[in-house]
Amino acid sequence: MQVILPDKTVVTRGDDPVPIESILHDLGILPASVIVLKNGKVVPEDVIASGDDQIRIIRIAHGG
Amino acid sequence: MVEADRCSFCQEPAVIRGREQAERWCASHLAVHLEDRVREHIRENSLVSPGDHIAVALSGGKDSTALLLILTLLIPEWKEVSITAITVDEGIAEYRDETIESAVSITRHLGIRHHIISFPDLFGADLDTLIRRSGSGERACTICGVLRRKALAEAARMIGATKIATGHNLDDEAQSVLMNVLRGDLVRLVQDSSSGEPDCFIPRIKPLARITEKEVVAYLFVRDSYSELPECPYAGSALRSEIRSMLGRLEYRHPGTREALLRSQAAIRKQGGPPASSEGVRRCGRCGTLCNSEICQACRILESLGP
Ligand code: SF4
Ligand SMILES: [Zn+2]
Ligand SMILES: [Zn+2]
Repeated sequence: MQVILPDKTVVTRGDDPVPIESILHDLGILPASVIVLKNGKVVPEDVIASGDDQIRIIRIAHGG
Repeated sequence: MVEADRCSFCQEPAVIRGREQAERWCASHLAVHLEDRVREHIRENSLVSPGDHIAVALSGGKDSTALLLILTLLIPEWKEVSITAITVDEGIAEYRDETIESAVSITRHLGIRHHIISFPDLFGADLDTLIRRSGSGERACTICGVLRRKALAEAARMIGATKIATGHNLDDEAQSVLMNVLRGDLVRLVQDSSSGEPDCFIPRIKPLARITEKEVVAYLFVRDSYSELPECPYAGSALRSEIRSMLGRLEYRHPGTREALLRSQAAIRKQGGPPASSEGVRRCGRCGTLCNSEICQACRILESLGP
């Protein structure tokens, strides 16, 4: 699967099913500081990603 | 497996889960849930009264955009309440222009009156220039915050507003508590500007104060109003950004930390007795606004930065 990081770089991961939370954990990202899109749709972080899913991580910007 | 991906209230896919992970919301249920919580917070704390003209501070960023969306929705439920959006253009290169464009487009879309007021108009120079004069970015947020506060108050006064609403969320509020403690600024800690204290100032209300930052952004997504905007170039230089990441980690490991901080503040406020009365209020010797000292904070900052 493909993971698009907040800075838009793309990393490829194995296709085994994994909760998105663990992906964030591996990257040292706190779930509360990001919004995660799975195949273009916002999802809770305990949702499982696998196969050719595309995961996009959007960092919540400060200020507003 | 499908279960976990679904809303607790219908069969639609979930977009966010509650902290205890028991509840999950789909896009439409999340929108209703957050709007209900804001409505409730406003009602419980009597933030809006019949006849109010609310000046909504609209930077064009995520929080103020969500605030405007929700208030626009709630307005018809209140008696003779109107809103006007106010945008302060501090003059921050490579940041503010885009957020202002966003503010203009959302007010147009919603049909809300919109005023833009700029630092150069009010203070004779933009923030970038003032910071260059101060010699370092260290004080950027202090300078910006104090002057923006004054600009907002000025604009609100000009349009005859009775309340100023800002988009501060739960994370912002918790950060502020910790920040005031770490700075030893107990006056700020116990100050409650929502009561309009001292009574001659326009009361400031924070309708999103019980909504987390993440919920705010999720709300924008489900209302199709999220846009990725640049971050302020000065954002990283402040104590707040350190507190922000620290509190983020604490909240992750000890859920409820944010609310606990706010409860502490409320308890300290209660102990601190009634808020400062209008007794100490006088007019600033430079600009004539009402303030607590001889010269208001904004004029002090402007003077320290010279002509
Ligand atoms: S980050 Fe600081 S300088 Fe930038 S807009 Fe916010 S308060 Fe102003
Ligand atoms: Zn639902
Ligand atoms: Zn003054």
